Amino acid sequence: MSPETLTAPAELAVTGRSANAPAPAGRWKKPLLYLVMLVLAVPFVFPTWWMITSSLLPENEVLSYPPKLFPTHPQWSNYRAAFANYPLAHQYFNSLYIAAVVTVGTMVFASLSGYAFARIPFPGGQKLFLLILTGLLIPSEVTIIPLFKLVDRLGLTDTHWPLIVIPILGAPSVLGTFVMRQFFLTVPDELEDAGRIDGLGRFGLYFRVALPLARPALAAVAIFTFLNSWNMYLEPLVYETDKRNFTLPVALTQYTDAYGAHLWNIQLAASVTTVVPVLIVFIVAQRHFVEGLAQAGLKG
Amino acid sequence: MSTTRRRVRLASAAVTVVTLLVAALAACSSGSGSSAKNISLRMTVWSNDKSQNALFNSIAASYRQSHPEISSITFDYIPIDNYTTALTTQIAGSNPPDLAWILERDAPDFVSSGALTDLTPTLKGTSGYGYDDLAASATKLWEQNGKLFAYPFSTSPFGMFFNKDLLAKAGVSQTPEQLLAAHQWTWPNAIKIAAQVAAKTAKQGLVIRDWNYKTWIQLASVWRAWGAQAWSADEAWGAQAWSADGKTCQFDSPQMQQAMSFLHSAIFTDKALPGPGETADFFAGESALTVTQISRASLLAKHPFNWGIVPLPSGPAGSSQVIGQAGIGVMTKGQHKQQAADFLAYFTNSANSAKLAQYFPPARKSQLTTTTLAKANPLFTAQQLQSVVIDGITTGSVLPSHQNSAKLSTLVQNALDPLWTPNANVDSVLKGVCQAIDPVLKQ
Amino acid sequence: MTVTPSQTRTPPRPAAAAARGGRRQYWTTRRRDVLSGWLFVLPQTLGFLAFVLYPLAAVVYYSFHTSNLLSGVTTYSGTKNYTQLAHDPAVPSVVRATALFCVGLVVFNIALALVLALLLNQKLRGTTVFRTLFFSPVVISLVAWTITWNFLLQNNGGINSLLRVIGVHGPNWLRGHDSALISVVIVQVFKNVGLNMVLFLAALQGVPRSLLEAADIDGAGPWRRFRSVILPLISPTTLLTTIVTISGSLQVFAQIQILTEGGPNNSTNVLVYFFYQQAFGNHDFGYGSAVAVVLFLIILVLTSIQWRLRKRWVFYES
Repeated sequence: MSPETLTAPAELAVTGRSANAPAPAGRWKKPLLYLVMLVLAVPFVFPTWWMITSSLLPENEVLSYPPKLFPTHPQWSNYRAAFANYPLAHQYFNSLYIAAVVTVGTMVFASLSGYAFARIPFPGGQKLFLLILTGLLIPSEVTIIPLFKLVDRLGLTDTHWPLIVIPILGAPSVLGTFVMRQFFLTVPDELEDAGRIDGLGRFGLYFRVALPLARPALAAVAIFTFLNSWNMYLEPLVYETDKRNFTLPVALTQYTDAYGAHLWNIQLAASVTTVVPVLIVFIVAQRHFVEGLAQAGLKG
Repeated sequence: MSTTRRRVRLASAAVTVVTLLVAALAACSSGSGSSAKNISLRMTVWSNDKSQNALFNSIAASYRQSHPEISSITFDYIPIDNYTTALTTQIAGSNPPDLAWILERDAPDFVSSGALTDLTPTLKGTSGYGYDDLAASATKLWEQNGKLFAYPFSTSPFGMFFNKDLLAKAGVSQTPEQLLAAHQWTWPNAIKIAAQVAAKTAKQGLVIRDWNYKTWIQLASVWRAWGAQAWSADEAWGAQAWSADGKTCQFDSPQMQQAMSFLHSAIFTDKALPGPGETADFFAGESALTVTQISRASLLAKHPFNWGIVPLPSGPAGSSQVIGQAGIGVMTKGQHKQQAADFLAYFTNSANSAKLAQYFPPARKSQLTTTTLAKANPLFTAQQLQSVVIDGITTGSVLPSHQNSAKLSTLVQNALDPLWTPNANVDSVLKGVCQAIDPVLKQ
Repeated sequence: MTVTPSQTRTPPRPAAAAARGGRRQYWTTRRRDVLSGWLFVLPQTLGFLAFVLYPLAAVVYYSFHTSNLLSGVTTYSGTKNYTQLAHDPAVPSVVRATALFCVGLVVFNIALALVLALLLNQKLRGTTVFRTLFFSPVVISLVAWTITWNFLLQNNGGINSLLRVIGVHGPNWLRGHDSALISVVIVQVFKNVGLNMVLFLAALQGVPRSLLEAADIDGAGPWRRFRSVILPLISPTTLLTTIVTISGSLQVFAQIQILTEGGPNNSTNVLVYFFYQQAFGNHDFGYGSAVAVVLFLIILVLTSIQWRLRKRWVFYES
């Protein structure tokens, strides 16, 4: 990924209609297209549907044949069981607050760094940026052993510190820095010059001039940072031992009975509780999601 | 002026960040912590069973009454399929538990590594403990140079549970009990019954519990009846899966080939066992037979049907009883080794051992009588207790164990994978197993 | 406050001039920029040093040692871990699994993303709904998605039950040598293809209508238009998504652990899972570190190859 901006239309509108696609010709084309999209939508939607319906089935119907596509007697007690016998509520809170702190923290530091790399001419800046970019190539698995030992030496295993500080300042934040930098490069110089005339120093320029313009980029960073933290699996698996410190991804895998067999219906009930809120937020705000990501992608 | 403003802004930004971090710290919970007077102990377990946990907690509560410096004793559940990995990661980190359950297959690694403390002084030094009551056969695996590094709190023989209702439904003429009485309780007969139930009802035949086509060590309950071994024998015959010094693979021996061929055709030809990926829970009434440890009997309370239990069937090499063991050790890296060892002495003393006996057959010779066991295991008849439990413990041998158990376990599992297809070549697969594990055995 | 011309963003005055000025502030713009520049990037730089560079160096260091987690003893062992890796009988399967998984996933993902984007780019009503549907798995928790598919792919699970209804005997998805790999690829692709789809959609909408119309006038059919006009114009996005998808495919871990644990018989034991197995399953941090180093080198090499090749097949890069 090079520091140059790639060509992109000045105005980006990711709407359902396209400005440059020809109108479908022929009477069959439209229904055919709809049919194709409908068929393609099945593997995207069906698992979610199955997750929700199966979560309401009693244990003995969960793997039955013929398959039950719809529960006849919805067993809401599965949901109660998901919370009752496991600290799911606490783990939910863990995931939420960790993701929130990481998102806010990343937005702060990534925008600061991104701004500096884009707009402050300081010696070594370019080289440092390229160096930090290499962080994008490093999967978390490669560094987990030394990080585990480091965290352990600091006595911070089984706390949430490694799940918060490392994503904010380490490899996962590099993408955020990159996106913010690309965005800040496009801020017109005149705005900053005007700001200087008003007597703003660097931080003022950043805070008062550049940052307010950066809402779409910040939104994109917030979204993928939140999702990234929400989905973290290896790190909580390695750092946390006490169940009450787990985050949701690891917590969801713990739904086994006394001897290790999956408790499918309860496990799926727990999964549904993690999925539905985010899904609702997404459906309501999906325009922002999609536009923000598209912006970020094009500017990269 | 702008410089000052900028500095103020920078400072306030820094303060915000620090506040965020402090808030995070405040909100997150932390693991163990104790001062001299406020000691908390943690034991990792793989049991999620409510009644078992209730028993553990009641023993812990009565211990704390006489030991007020112990503020809490918690039993941490780790699912069994990940148990040893999670425990080892905890030990490697700075947050090890004070006590931990240990599987018999991992005993050599743990005992020889120095990760466990020597329990002998504490146990022998506790008055009224009765150290000599512990059966030598039970403690063998957990000792080194005469020192005991983990207490074998569960010596649980394998048996074959059967569902009388399902057998009747499938029209099985002779139950396992009857076959046993007639000295006809063999593996071929067991498979015949299983196949019949699978064919005539919608349920499965035989389930080797906890195997699931992955944990191959459970198959020792089958191959021992052929006198096969994975590597070494430490007792009479057909005891383990590798040679006497543990350095030679025995998976490609003729006995093992016969045992595995039998199992293979039972699965794919007779359809007596569920195929790979199919799950069936005997205790939910989904299969007619199951091979598992008797401590699972507590699951029967949930789904009452008429059931029975018999020892494992016999094979060409006669009948062979297999035992699974579990020990409790005190971690050397724990912060309160002595207090943990003292608690362990209490947890496993004579009186509590009798209470635990309802789930975990004890290592104490004096308690291996039908009367004692019957009091703790009201579900079993005296005859069942004698033939399955007591005889099993005295004549049976423990599941295979070896150093580098984790590595061996994965290697064997992967090498056995090709066996679980309908057209597998048993001989070549078993040779492949030996090829895979020979380097590790010789280490 | 009056502003002298020298306080705008012009090339900095040499220090001698400042000394000449005498009364001028110490904190020239240039100096302030240097300070603020470094201050702004300081947290990330420190984080990078502590959480990226140091662990990278440490991993290399550990790969030359052997450590026993239970006893806590670590000894220097030279290149023993690397020679062991070269001779490990599981490695050919791991390489095969990684390569197949990566190629299968990238090809399927990019192709599907492009197809979906092309579909959504049509002038149809209601494509927003479909766009939401296609994108929805992206926001579903990874583990929840994988658990659901695990449940569906059981031999007696939803997929096979439905197939049975129409008389088809489905394979034992997660236990078959090849079907396991296919299953894992499918689960991963449908989870994340929405992201690439959105990027392609944005790129497609940047293709000027005039160009397509000109091609149409010249007699180019839809396929020709696609190949010669659209593809080149979206090639920057294609490159971006390919790079990101390739390096992403080399990091897929949770799904493998939940669905197949690397089996059956190492057919889905991709490099990153092999790493976890060795480091945390077999408690061999030294050996695991060697695997991690190799993983990193592979990603590095692949990315630089793609980056160099970009001049070949990316058009219109400014």
